[in-house]
Formats: sequence, C-alpha cells, structure tokens
Amino acid sequence: MARADSVAVVGVGHTRYGKLPEYDAYELGLWALNEALADCGLHFEDIDGLIVNRIPDYQRFCEIAGVNPSYVSITPGQGRFSGICIETAAALIRDGLANTVALVYGNNGRSGGDRYGGAGDTYGSGGGGQWFAYGMTSPGAFHALMARRHMELYGTTADQLGTVSKTFRNHAALNPSAVMRTPFTLADYHASRYICEPLHLLDYCLINDGGVALILSSGARARDLRQPPVHVRGYGMATQLAASSFPPDDFWRTPMRAAAARSFRAAGITHSDISTLMIYDNFTPTVLFSLEGFGYCGDGESGPFVAEGHLALGARYPTNTSGGHLSESYMQGWALNLEAVRQVRGACGERQVKDCAFAHYMAAAPVVTSIIYGRQPS
Amino acid sequence: MRPLPSVEGADRPFWQGLRRREVRVQRCGNCGAYRFPATRFCPGCRSEISEWHAVAPSGTVETWCVFHRAYFDGLDVPYTVIQVRLDCGVRLFSNPVGVEPGALRIGLAVEAVFDDITPEVTLLKFKPRKGQQ
Repeated sequence: MARADSVAVVGVGHTRYGKLPEYDAYELGLWALNEALADCGLHFEDIDGLIVNRIPDYQRFCEIAGVNPSYVSITPGQGRFSGICIETAAALIRDGLANTVALVYGNNGRSGGDRYGGAGDTYGSGGGGQWFAYGMTSPGAFHALMARRHMELYGTTADQLGTVSKTFRNHAALNPSAVMRTPFTLADYHASRYICEPLHLLDYCLINDGGVALILSSGARARDLRQPPVHVRGYGMATQLAASSFPPDDFWRTPMRAAAARSFRAAGITHSDISTLMIYDNFTPTVLFSLEGFGYCGDGESGPFVAEGHLALGARYPTNTSGGHLSESYMQGWALNLEAVRQVRGACGERQVKDCAFAHYMAAAPVVTSIIYGRQPS
Repeated sequence: MRPLPSVEGADRPFWQGLRRREVRVQRCGNCGAYRFPATRFCPGCRSEISEWHAVAPSGTVETWCVFHRAYFDGLDVPYTVIQVRLDCGVRLFSNPVGVEPGALRIGLAVEAVFDDITPEVTLLKFKPRKGQQ
C-alpha cells in the first residue's frame, strides 16, 4: 500500500442517543458503522484498518461485523482515546499500513448501570480506592478540585461556568439528535443541585447510550466518495501522566501547549483561521482550562472570556455546536469530532457556522489531543 | 459501613505510623524523594531502594471540594475533601477538622489530626495550624 500525502474523514455515523437498553456496546458500534459506511458509500470489505473504543473485545466485534481488517486494535473506554484513535488512524493511513480505517465506538453505560464514583471508581491512575476512606472519589470531584483552585487563583465564578453549560444547551436546542434540548437560564443553573461543590448538576456531562463511527481514508481516495472530504490537517498529542493521581498545578497547560503547537504547525494555520471549537466537555471547568491551554485566551482569563459570549453560535468561536457532552450525548469525544466534520462539510443546518473552513477539536486530560480539520487538503 | 482502607498492603508502615501518631511515607534510598502511596521503584530515579521515614506532620491546603452527593454508605453529606501537600512534598487527599469550607484558602497551613475510626484504622486528617484563620 502506498503512503498517503493527506488524510480525510470520509464517512461519519451515529446511533440514536439516550436509553437504548436493547443494544449492547458491540451493537451500538455496528449500528454507527453501518451509518458511517452508508454516509460515504463504502462497504465493509473496504475497511482494512479497525480500531474499536469502549467496545469490550475487538475479536467479538469483528466476528459480529464479519470483517477481517489487516490492522486491528482496541482502546479503553476513556474519553481521551477518541483523539488518540483518530491520530493513530491518520498515521496508519499516512504510513500506508491501511487505506481505509474505521473507528468504532459503542457505549451502553446508561443501560449498563455504569457509575462514575463510589466503590467501583476506576478514574485516574489505577483507580481512587486509596482515598475512599476520606470520601474522595469520582472524576467530577477531581474536576471540582481543579475548578475551586481556578476560582481561588483567578476569581473565576459560578456564573462563568454556568454560561458554558447554558451556551451549549442553546446549541443542543438546534440539534435534533441531542438528548437535552430545553434551554435554561443562569438562575436555573444556580438552582440545580450541587453534586460536588463548586460543581452543580448542570456542570456535569450526561450519561447515555449510543455509538459513533468515523471512516478515514487517504485524501486521494476521498475525492471519489459520496461526501466532501474533511481533511485531518494537523494533529498533536502530549501527556502529563507522571504524578497524575492529583490535579495538575498548571491545569494541563504544558501538554495542551505542546499538542496545540504541533497541530497548528502541521496544519499551517493559526488560531485566527479557526471557525469553530469542539472542546471535550466532561465538566464545564475543562472548557475553561482548554481555552487557556490551547491558546484562545490568556492564562486565568477564560472565565471573563466565556462570559463575553465568544462560545455562542454567531460569535467569534462557536463551541460545541452540537451541545457537546453536557447536552447532546456522552460519546467521549467521538460525537464532537463528528460535529467538527459536519461543520466543515457545511451540513449542520440551523446550527451551521458560516464559512466554516477549519474546526479544532481539543481534549484536556492527562493525555491531551488536538486535531484540526479543514476543507482543503493543504 | 463507611469505606475503610486496606491497612495490610504495601502501605502498612503508613497505617502503623498513624496508630503511633506519626506520618510515615516512603523515601527513596537513592535520590531522597518522598512518595506515597507505596511503589516498588522511585518514579523520580527508578531506584528500588527505599525506607519508610517519619516526616513533619504539617503541610498546606492546595484546593478542596464539598461532596453533596453521597457515594459511600456511612459518610454523611455534605462533607469536605481537601488536597494537602505535606512539607516533604507528598500530596494527599484528606478531610479538614475544625474549619468550615468557607474558611479554607490555598496555602492554608495545616497540621495532622489522627482520627481513630476503628480499633485498627486511623485516618490522617488536618486542622489549621495555630495562628492561621
């Protein structure tokens, strides 16, 4: 197989989102993959690379799907892996190890009763069991600790966090696929119960069932397919895993800067060229940390930045136009990448960002990923 | 029943120390860095040589949060979790004693409180040092 000069997302698909108790994670993934293949007009036989995410067993998935990809891999059900999988797929295609890579995600966590905190908590470095006696548990609490520190250091307010959540809900109201579509006010935000203070219920992402699939191929092949190709123009990854049982002093700025710099350098563009942002929003404070770390505002300035309204549709950096994890669907980064592709295609209907030439996906966590999508190959 | 730590594993010297009103953590025999929970190799220099060492039972608050949702039977909400950096550099999650969340600050100096919660288990909690608040 030949090396590829460029890589594009050629097909995207997703299931319904919500409670889907009749489907397991394999079936949700296969449903989404069916949709993604139909989207681009490719067939199961065309898939020569496959990476599954959150689906428990790659062999079982391939048996159910009836495929024999020449490259196969499996990744754990952590949100940071969506970006990792996409970057890996792009590298496989560039290097000629595969020509058409399917990335398949299935999540039946809602119906499966997954819990994020308490005795089964596996978040962090080997799980948090060490600290259960003090009541410390859950990714939400980890982010509440970071949010409190940001508030103390920079004067970040609950209103600013609430503005993030409210803005994404307004976007979800324009997205027929979104699970939560009813707009709310800042007063509603404040009235929502605390889960782990300073974070309210409306600072937390949803938990729902669903699946997403992306098909990536070489830019050359992409030209002949059904949809306009959306090119993976640049990507970068960096980690901050040492000492990661505890929140990072720098809100993950160090790896975010490194990943952002790599992706922008590869794309050959700057922040001012970006039309829309897709920010991994497991919790609202992560959006603030990302805006700072990926360079959209100064350190400590993200609170006022969001309060000024820059993330809303029609403003400078419409962000999470689908509603994100907070309001659309808890697809652990996958649905945000799908939304980035649809925005660059110009296929987002009522919530379409005007002249969307570039979309930037970013995820802040101990593993940081940064992906820039563009309409043109370079 | 509230969640109890396992006091018999690799961290046994830490839990035994708390019974004796000492804060003991692992110290690398090569580079001298302190660490907790226990690991066989030092994450700084990868040496396998280590000893358990009593350190100053004092540190500072780095951040905190207040749990309103209950995740564990036997722990009544709301309760506060603090992140403390001991003066030796080791970080811990813990609970504050004798200070309301509204009075917590980054950098608040704290000292150990040894809380015997069962005949076998003592938890390491923290109260503001004298002259603070």
